[in-house]
Amino acid sequence: MSLSTEDRRAREPRTPPVETRAAGGAPVATKVPLRHRLRRDRTLLLMTLPAMLLLLVFAYVPLAGNVVAFQDYDPYIADNAFQAIAQSPWVGFEWFQQMVNDRLFWSALRNTLAIFLLQLTLFFPVPILLALFINSFVRPRVRAVAQAVLYLPHFFSWVLVVTVFQQMFGGAGLIAQTLREHGHEGFDLMTDPGLFKFLITFEMIWKDAGWGVIVFLAALAAVSPDLYEASAMDGANRWRRMWHITLPALRPVVALLLVLQVGNALTVGFEQILLQRTAVGPGASEVLDTYVWNVGITNGGFSYAAAVGIVKGVFGLLLVLGANKVAHLMGEQGVYKK
Amino acid sequence: MTPNSPSAPSRRRFLASSVVVAAAVGGGMPLLAACGGGSGGSKNEGTTTGKKLKDLLPAYVPSKAVTPDIPGKNGSAVGFTTALPASELAVSVPKKLGKGSELTIMAPLWGTSPGEGNPYWTAMDEAVGVKVKWQNQDGNVYGQKLGAVLASSSIPDAVVVPGWELGGKIPSAIANKFADLGPYLSGDKVKAYPNLAAIPTGAWQRGVFAEKLRGLPMPAEATPNITPFYRADIFEEKGYEVPTTTQEFYDLCKEINAPKSKVWACSDMTWSAFVFFGVLPEKPYYWKLVDDKLVNRYETDEYLEALEWSRSLYSAGFVHPDAKAETGDMRTTFSSGNALMYNADISDWYAATAIQRLDKPDFRMGAMDFFAHDGGDPVIYEAAPSNIWCFVNKDADKKTVEDILALANYTAAPYGTKEQRLKAYGLEGTHHTLKDGVLTKTEKGNNQVFATYEYVATSAPFRAYPDHPDVVKGVIEWQQRQGAHLRKPLFHGMQIQEPTRFTELNAQFEDLEKDIVRGRKKVSDMQQQVSDWKTKGGDKLRDWYKKLLDETGESAS
Repeated sequence: MSLSTEDRRAREPRTPPVETRAAGGAPVATKVPLRHRLRRDRTLLLMTLPAMLLLLVFAYVPLAGNVVAFQDYDPYIADNAFQAIAQSPWVGFEWFQQMVNDRLFWSALRNTLAIFLLQLTLFFPVPILLALFINSFVRPRVRAVAQAVLYLPHFFSWVLVVTVFQQMFGGAGLIAQTLREHGHEGFDLMTDPGLFKFLITFEMIWKDAGWGVIVFLAALAAVSPDLYEASAMDGANRWRRMWHITLPALRPVVALLLVLQVGNALTVGFEQILLQRTAVGPGASEVLDTYVWNVGITNGGFSYAAAVGIVKGVFGLLLVLGANKVAHLMGEQGVYKK
Repeated sequence: MTPNSPSAPSRRRFLASSVVVAAAVGGGMPLLAACGGGSGGSKNEGTTTGKKLKDLLPAYVPSKAVTPDIPGKNGSAVGFTTALPASELAVSVPKKLGKGSELTIMAPLWGTSPGEGNPYWTAMDEAVGVKVKWQNQDGNVYGQKLGAVLASSSIPDAVVVPGWELGGKIPSAIANKFADLGPYLSGDKVKAYPNLAAIPTGAWQRGVFAEKLRGLPMPAEATPNITPFYRADIFEEKGYEVPTTTQEFYDLCKEINAPKSKVWACSDMTWSAFVFFGVLPEKPYYWKLVDDKLVNRYETDEYLEALEWSRSLYSAGFVHPDAKAETGDMRTTFSSGNALMYNADISDWYAATAIQRLDKPDFRMGAMDFFAHDGGDPVIYEAAPSNIWCFVNKDADKKTVEDILALANYTAAPYGTKEQRLKAYGLEGTHHTLKDGVLTKTEKGNNQVFATYEYVATSAPFRAYPDHPDVVKGVIEWQQRQGAHLRKPLFHGMQIQEPTRFTELNAQFEDLEKDIVRGRKKVSDMQQQVSDWKTKGGDKLRDWYKKLLDETGESAS
């Protein structure tokens, strides 16, 4: 979006930027003063203002609340949160030490990472494959219907999804009951701790894979049909066209989503898991988010929960930075450029 | 899942095996530590007893409004099997006490809020002389909302807190955020509110938090609220006998269980098992004195035996899969005949019957008598005299407090009064009809008349279901039979606040109980947990309670 030097001069003839000359007087990279940039970009800035405000109020200001992780915070000792923070005693890194020795925390972390890896390997490729399938093989007339059918489960609440799965795969569900009626043993997928991680990934695929298709289809729609025609003329068959045109077109989007996904590695779902917690027990189902919820909100251990939250946040940030770096090394844009 | 013995383990065999396991995990049950700890200095901790308590409690002036059809006995409620026509109802609030305040009240609701401006709420507002803005929250996750609301700086004028949500730092919130009602209610002052004066003293005692009378109580029966139900109609038809030992229960399950025809024997029975095995109640009544030493429920053999027995029902496949997954509504599963036994609050008796008889007039359910696991007399611990309270914001002005008390005085009207009729059944013609002494709620009544007003304050316990008199009879008689076996736990009736350093101590037990009965963890894991509990503060907690016991003395037992 940067303007050439000529453009800039043409626009700002009377105020040559001070920084354009270094001590020796030689021209160096120019920098427009903030004031001018503000005026120049005011329309764009105004457009982002509401989003910035939301981010400020709901993301940045609450960050300050993280101080309770270093306190023995009791929200009820004063009339409001600020006074309560002021009056709660400081405990330094005590909660973080406790975390290191807390086997429930480590169990939650293990579950979180295991579910993340399953999602990455089983869930992530599904929307891409579906998009390729829809783009290449489904006839335009069927396409709208196919897409609608695929999107629909995204709009179901998790309560409904879990209920549907219970009705289908539960011990008294349709499949188990049909098996019993035909003289076989019934089964219960919903209460098996060993299968739980696969189960929730499967639920996630059913609910959200179709929705994930949208962004890939958009990327595919941006590919010029000329490329396909030209390559077809040159004798490329369907597979070669997919390999040399379609997949490269998807690459930046895949890289971007992968970086984002890795950044969210420790956020693997909350409501879905909370709803099925009793069915398989916390040993198989507790993840960092549900752990924070149970410790902080249910049991009132706000400080400890905040400490776990901080660790999760810092870890997530490092992962994003790392994944972004990898994306750059692979020649992709990633989430942002330096 | 570990294979389990086909029958419930006998007490002796179980003990033998548990000793081995205890030795293996190195925990066992060492003798109790003696000294140290102490009840601490904060006024938010401990309990209030003696003269101090006496001075706080309101005077008791029983209501003479109506004579019940079935009188109370053994700690049961009283029963009413008939409904008087509106013209013959007594009047317990002759003069409108409310002065028109706008009140915000947060209360749990198990159902869908009827929404503002519905005729039921409007009629209640007019009758009391206040304007209530209800902040109803889903009862199933109420505790989570409660913690957040109390931590905020905008607390409603009145907040309902059920006893089972007193975990974590909630007691500290009650002490810091809610008003002392003593100046309005202690001693003879309560007589300005005759229906509140008719609430039994024990119920008020549980409303004393941090040395002040803060909670308006919802009195409860002395008998347990959790009731083991069975489908009386199906039992009769199939010739099943109601069990009297845990072995008979197990054998009956085997007879009933037929997953192929979508019939399971029972739902999760852990709560009932706790009574079958004589397990101590929950905090703070979870101690007993053995040779002058306090023993916690988690440390008792009964506790482990109850879990082991519940587990045997699961591993034999007698428990409905939805109960195992904890999805769906067990009352519905039971009503539709997919599970023939389940345990729930005793109010389910009426709730299920009223709905089922709309299209199945022969629907009948019964409550089995609690038995000791080996067939002897059961040990049933007396329930706390109140377990739900309504608190008033400490910043509320005098007029607001008085209007909340006016509302409470109205909602605490006894059965057979004009006030109770409006509160429990809404408007005649709109929410209920009364024909030939049979009171029936209309569809609008079922959708709008919810029990949120009940939680502001209620009268001494009664059961009145004039539309199904057999249910009233069943409930009261069951309570009276169970009442014969009642035993008071240590510290009975006291409102005790443990020091905050112990708040997280018990947090793991519920998850572990569920894991064990469902076969995902072993009973020995619980023994490990108990020995962790002891070293992480359980022994200190024991010392703290011992000191409390020594201080409170006679009144504690």
